[in-house]
Amino acid sequence: MTQEMQFKTIVAQYCKVKPEDMKEDMRFREDLGFTSLDFMSFFGELEDTFDVELEQEDAVNILTIAEALDLLEKLQQEA
Amino acid sequence: MEVLIRDILEESEKRYSEITAVKWLKKKEILERSYRELMENVKSVRKGLRAEGFEGKHIALIGTSSVEWMESYLGIITGNTVAVPLDAGLPGEDLIDLINRSDAEALFLSPKNQALLDGILEACPKLRKIWMLQEEEPETSEERAASLADLKNASKNCPADSGRPSPDDVATIIFTSGTTGKSKGVMLTQNNLASNVKAVDFTLEPGSIVLSVLPIHHAFCLVMDWLKGFSLGATLCINDSLLHMVRNMSVFKPDIMLMVPLMIETIYKRLAGADPAIPKKALAAHVFGGNLKIIFTGGAHLDPYYIDKFAEYGVDVLEGYGMSECSPVISSNTPEDHKAGSIGRPLSNVEIAFENGEILVRGSSVMKGYYHMPEETEETLRGGWLHTGDKGYLDEDGFLFINGRVKNLIILSNGENISPEEIENKLALGALVGEVIVTGENNGLTARIYPDQDVVQAKGLSEEEIRTALQAFLDQYNKSQPTYRQITGLVVRKNPFIRNSTKKIKRQDALIDEAVLPTA
Repeated sequence: MTQEMQFKTIVAQYCKVKPEDMKEDMRFREDLGFTSLDFMSFFGELEDTFDVELEQEDAVNILTIAEALDLLEKLQQEA
Repeated sequence: MEVLIRDILEESEKRYSEITAVKWLKKKEILERSYRELMENVKSVRKGLRAEGFEGKHIALIGTSSVEWMESYLGIITGNTVAVPLDAGLPGEDLIDLINRSDAEALFLSPKNQALLDGILEACPKLRKIWMLQEEEPETSEERAASLADLKNASKNCPADSGRPSPDDVATIIFTSGTTGKSKGVMLTQNNLASNVKAVDFTLEPGSIVLSVLPIHHAFCLVMDWLKGFSLGATLCINDSLLHMVRNMSVFKPDIMLMVPLMIETIYKRLAGADPAIPKKALAAHVFGGNLKIIFTGGAHLDPYYIDKFAEYGVDVLEGYGMSECSPVISSNTPEDHKAGSIGRPLSNVEIAFENGEILVRGSSVMKGYYHMPEETEETLRGGWLHTGDKGYLDEDGFLFINGRVKNLIILSNGENISPEEIENKLALGALVGEVIVTGENNGLTARIYPDQDVVQAKGLSEEEIRTALQAFLDQYNKSQPTYRQITGLVVRKNPFIRNSTKKIKRQDALIDEAVLPTA
């Protein structure tokens, strides 16, 4: 499974949109229906799955799937 | 018999002296404090406050859960001082307003919130001292700022301990959303807190693990996680971030947790989203840490569906009911005595009555009043009964059920009570916002906005441009707010809201978007 698909599979746990139907400009809270805590729990899962560490402050500024993927890539490069 | 929180803690110090009272994470290392060590620090804070001349004064705290926060809080409420815990996630201007309105003369501030220090000192003239919740000297030239080590040093110059407060003295002021858009400071006395701790019918083996995941400035967390936990000799573990709630269940392996319904819903998504080939027992051990037996929940309604689902994973979910004004628990299901869908039987120190369906409460946990708000206090405590704003009934077995609300508050499933007016007042400042009503849906808040037609016409904005501009305005607003006050839905209305004869917007008709024909 590609990293992006692995990422989208985690996203899919928290919403009713299938991984293959997710678009990069979709917003977590407004388009995917994430609650504030889904959002936190999701980023915690990203940390565990991809072995990265992020600050809560970084997470709260993320709005879209594309932004979260960019952040993940940035954190992996820094690691 | 009336008791003090200090009585309860001193009893625990004697009985559980060498048991671990608190555990927390520093990076990936687990640190801990025994009951004896915890109480030594509590005593130092208490004596330090006396040495620094703060007896009888109000002292605010800003920070998320930490052992230093808790020791400071207990140091305040076990002496003759009043603790005012504030939500560290609020914008600086709101915190300043609450510090001033609570007449706080000193503040404990978390190092994470150090950026607030200068602004607070400038705008809060009554504040004589700020202690950073750290042992190291704070990096500031400001004379009024010091460290916890400084406060403990001051205690060494004060041989006498602070006197015991009286049971009727106010121990803490907890802010809660008001229906008029202005938050209210709930005054809880020593006896209010202590009798709530005593009246909740639940016990644990000393050394049992409680993982605390709720915001520490909330009464439910403060009283039921911490004070109740300490009264039973439990080991309280601090969840360092909501990001890591599930991971920390594996780290600390709790026996029991307190949650708001939103947390239960989120965890269930992880359980339901897992590979169905994994046996439920193994999955429960992976997600819950292996020892979790009970989750107490309150603060908002929980769909009984989750109670059944969690039972499949070996975890009993027990729902209770309360509000800050009642210290906070009014009723609770217990492991031995519960009924799904109900919020349990009223506590032994509580009397329940009904007025036109509204639940009224009387008893030793009911607050003294709202700080400096005599009219609101009179209205809420009229006739000697606390008017909860919730509608409900008792069934034939004495279990309490809720079936509606009287007051205009939005209760989100994270337990936060949102005053829509408070947010509407802020959103109304947007240039393109003509009229706005905030409603609660799908665990979040939606802003329903009728754009200002003068601005639309002057700028010649299309529908698409209006939506984009309003979303950008909401994104900007959201950045300054804690997550529970952020707007996650936007409805752009085609018509103004329906108004009543006094020209007030009819909130109950806010979802209707129809043109109103002018009356003749």
